[in-house]
Amino acid sequence: MSSVQKTETFSYDDQIVRWFVIATVIWGAVAMLLGVTIAFQLANPAFNFGLPWTTFGRLRPLHTNAAIFAFCGNAIFAGIYYSHQRLLKARLYNDFLSRIHFWGWQLIIVSAALTLPFGITTGKEYAELEWPIDILITLIWVVFAVNFFGTLIRRRERHIYVAIWFYIATIITVAVLHIVNSMELPVSFFKSYSMYAGVQDALVQWWYGHNAVAFFLTTPFLGLMYYFIPKAANRPVYSYRLSIIHFWSLVFIYIWAGPHHLLYTTLPEWAQTLGMVFSISLWMPSWGGMINGLMTLRGVWHKVRTDPGLKFMATSLTFYGMSTFEGPLLSIKSVNAIAHFTDWIPGHVHSGTIGWNYMLIAGILFYLVPKLWNTELYSKKLASFQFWLATIGLVLYIVSMWIAGVTQSLMWSAMDSAGRLTYPNFIETVIKIVPMYWVRATGGTLVLISFIIMIYNLYKTAKQGSVNKEQIFEAPALDETSIETNATAHRKLEGWPMIFAVLSLIAILVGSAIEIVPSLLSDRYVVKMSKIKPYSPLELLGRDLYIREGCYLCHSQTVRPMAHEVIRYGKASEAAEFVYDRPFQWGSKRTGPDLARIGGKYPDMWHYRHFYNPKEVTAGSIMPRYTWLFDNKIDYNSLQGKMQVMQTLGVPYSDAEILAGVTNAQAQAQAITTVLAEAGVPMKIVDKEVVALIAYMQRLGTDILKEEAQ
Amino acid sequence: MNHTNNEGEKLHVEENEKHLLLDHAYDGIHELNNPLPSWWSFLFYTGIIFSIAYFIFYQIMGGPTLREEFNKDYSKILVVQEEFKKANSAYKDERYVAVANPEGIEKGEEVYENNCLPCHQEKGMGDIGPNLTDKHWIVAKSTPETIYNVIFNGSEANGMPPWSEVLTTEEIYLAVAYVSSLKNTFQKGGKLPQGEVIEE
Ligand code: HEC
Ligand code: HEC
Repeated sequence: MSSVQKTETFSYDDQIVRWFVIATVIWGAVAMLLGVTIAFQLANPAFNFGLPWTTFGRLRPLHTNAAIFAFCGNAIFAGIYYSHQRLLKARLYNDFLSRIHFWGWQLIIVSAALTLPFGITTGKEYAELEWPIDILITLIWVVFAVNFFGTLIRRRERHIYVAIWFYIATIITVAVLHIVNSMELPVSFFKSYSMYAGVQDALVQWWYGHNAVAFFLTTPFLGLMYYFIPKAANRPVYSYRLSIIHFWSLVFIYIWAGPHHLLYTTLPEWAQTLGMVFSISLWMPSWGGMINGLMTLRGVWHKVRTDPGLKFMATSLTFYGMSTFEGPLLSIKSVNAIAHFTDWIPGHVHSGTIGWNYMLIAGILFYLVPKLWNTELYSKKLASFQFWLATIGLVLYIVSMWIAGVTQSLMWSAMDSAGRLTYPNFIETVIKIVPMYWVRATGGTLVLISFIIMIYNLYKTAKQGSVNKEQIFEAPALDETSIETNATAHRKLEGWPMIFAVLSLIAILVGSAIEIVPSLLSDRYVVKMSKIKPYSPLELLGRDLYIREGCYLCHSQTVRPMAHEVIRYGKASEAAEFVYDRPFQWGSKRTGPDLARIGGKYPDMWHYRHFYNPKEVTAGSIMPRYTWLFDNKIDYNSLQGKMQVMQTLGVPYSDAEILAGVTNAQAQAQAITTVLAEAGVPMKIVDKEVVALIAYMQRLGTDILKEEAQ
Repeated sequence: MNHTNNEGEKLHVEENEKHLLLDHAYDGIHELNNPLPSWWSFLFYTGIIFSIAYFIFYQIMGGPTLREEFNKDYSKILVVQEEFKKANSAYKDERYVAVANPEGIEKGEEVYENNCLPCHQEKGMGDIGPNLTDKHWIVAKSTPETIYNVIFNGSEANGMPPWSEVLTTEEIYLAVAYVSSLKNTFQKGGKLPQGEVIEE
């Protein structure tokens, strides 16, 4: 040592970690309560309670947003802020920014809770929040990033540990995903239209959706795992080499996998194939994390049995391993043909979110809360009881959804020797799996109860403990003495976090650009058809109701090129059909039948009665009632603005058509109501929302059947 | 190098891995440098090689597309359907006579309740579809043969589905038996008559 090292003193901001911990458990309970509610709604539609803001289509986005962004989000921030400071021997960059981050994030969550139940949504799964909230998310994310990288700059540890690699990839990628997917043009404060249409929108949305799983539910949690498992087990991490190779391969490969959500759709097939093969290649990079975690526990498995935190963490890794095997499996085209649109997928998702995220969060909280409140865990017995409840609940969930998914799939595709569907009535395939919905709801309830037990346990722990004054630590300032002269290339890179960040950015941009850019640039990407026309003004309003009510959460709008599907629904979908769809509404789940070809399938009167009470038209239906559509007036005031925005986005509405929009819409409503009136419906229904929704239903899939204009 | 964590507890390192322990620590976290498990590397590279081969075969060398595979599949089914239609579309009086009895009518009612209720209502009173209990007819002309034809082929433009794609031929004959038993029962509260009057 040439010079005497200067010693600095510092402390850690643990108050902010405590806040995020409290927010985690509160929002976790809310998210799970919502999840259990919608699970019961699928088992019996009476649980929709007949109110607009409590129906499935509106609560389901609230559940997913609460689970991902509120529950997991707050947990990520708690865990990152706790570990980041310690791994870098530095206090968080700025206490005030930390507070803005905390309150800003809670404001986002509250805004979600105040908009989604009222049908204020963009209609894009996992990105439902409307544009003002999108902007708020961006701002708060920037605050987080500044706070995070600011801390890195002030670090007293030259090299960054693998946990921080994962945090860096998370922060960068989530920013890119969120901004690109949220590109939308506002109509009003509460309504916007996606900048992308149809196939392109689908591609961007699932690039986002899949990587929200990757970079919000996986990479940050892998980072947390790399901190909390070795800490709790007091064991060295199994393999540094494995960390390096699985980190880079995971980050590089994950971003390509999005199109596996769009197999058999009208997305160009090369993009579908990329989605499939990159998903398969992702298996081992994912398992690298599991191996590194589980092998770290070598020699201390006795601790796993007695230490509740470790028990949860080890279990979470097993579920992580299971779902990252299942994911690539589901991405194989022929397997996807069976599983897509069925309940297998929610089962898969929950082995990730409950098995991996909830269990890991529980493990982390059992480590953190006693430390943050300077005490011991209140009750190991309760923790163990919670563990078994959660595990049994989750297994019930996963197994029931496997059974339901495979059953549905077999019934949908079963055909007899005359080329007829064995179960032509979709409702038969619904009734068959309702018992599985009850099992799932029961499983979910057990998980919820387990979570409430944990809250009680943690509350008692915090109560018996106390918050001490911040401890003062000492460490030498960062100077050249810590530079290793003969370090490997990667080791050197670990000393340059900003370059590390840039390289991660490049790693995720490669796949993103190759998949997305062609769809934005090439005219040949979607072969246009002149017979596909924009929606009429009334249909456009009806479509917005479809989005508002979250119909896309139970209905798909894309017929895959498969014999049984074409026989059941009609001609396979073409890319050109969706060019005016902003946002696209292909959906990801067929709780009800596909609607891409519903136009003309039934008379208006059928829909009228069906929306009022689906059970009365289709015995055994689990679709909610939409009685308020019969009271609410059609919002003609918004029409002109909506058409103008669509025009700006390239939909060929002429100025004259926009001017005459309301008149035309009212004329179409009059025509529909006249037909309904013949069957005894009162004429006064003419200005009610149901008429607009019927207009939209009857338009779907009809253009493609017309003769191509000369 | 001190191998204790922050709480002063000694790091748990197995005897046979001591030489793998790397010379750095973060907040008391140490790292071993175990080699990659060989099965892991094997599967990792296999996955990548498979992926490249798969992509080249299907996207570059002209392997069959999903649409092509579908077209092949579907055209076979269309042939089967066509043959079936040819064999069954023609009305056969003896098959009708065989079920035109109380037992057949009862079974026919079941077929009707499972498939026709949403549009024709209880006992054929009519709603979205026409009243089947009067002497007015739109497409069918009162005879079993014409009823058979409309049920078998449907009247799609006006909202009556072709049931040959859904029901077995036997079920269609049962439905014909049931519908025939309804005509001229003039259910109270039924839909107003549509179509031309056919007296028998
Ligand atoms: C909870 C899931 C769920 C939601 C939400 C839902 N549906 Fe359904 N829907 C179903 C099920 C199940 C069926 C099949 C049984 C039936 O006919 O009611 C169905 C059937 C339909 C059908 C008949 C399709 C056919 O081919 O027979 C239409 C049309 C329809 N739904 C439209 C809508 C619209 C529009 C919305 C939103 C306002 C909506 N659904 C919301 C579950 C749902
Ligand atoms: C989706 C609604 C719908 C369903 C379901 C339906 N029908 Fe119909 N049906 C109609 C309509 C509409 C017409 C009138 C067709 C026309 O005007 O060309 C009709 C016509 C008929 C006719 C001819 C009546 C006439 O006056 O010519 C018969 C017979 C009939 N249906 C029987 C059945 C039977 C049997 C079933 C069940 C297997 C059934 N329908 C199911 C809508 C339906």
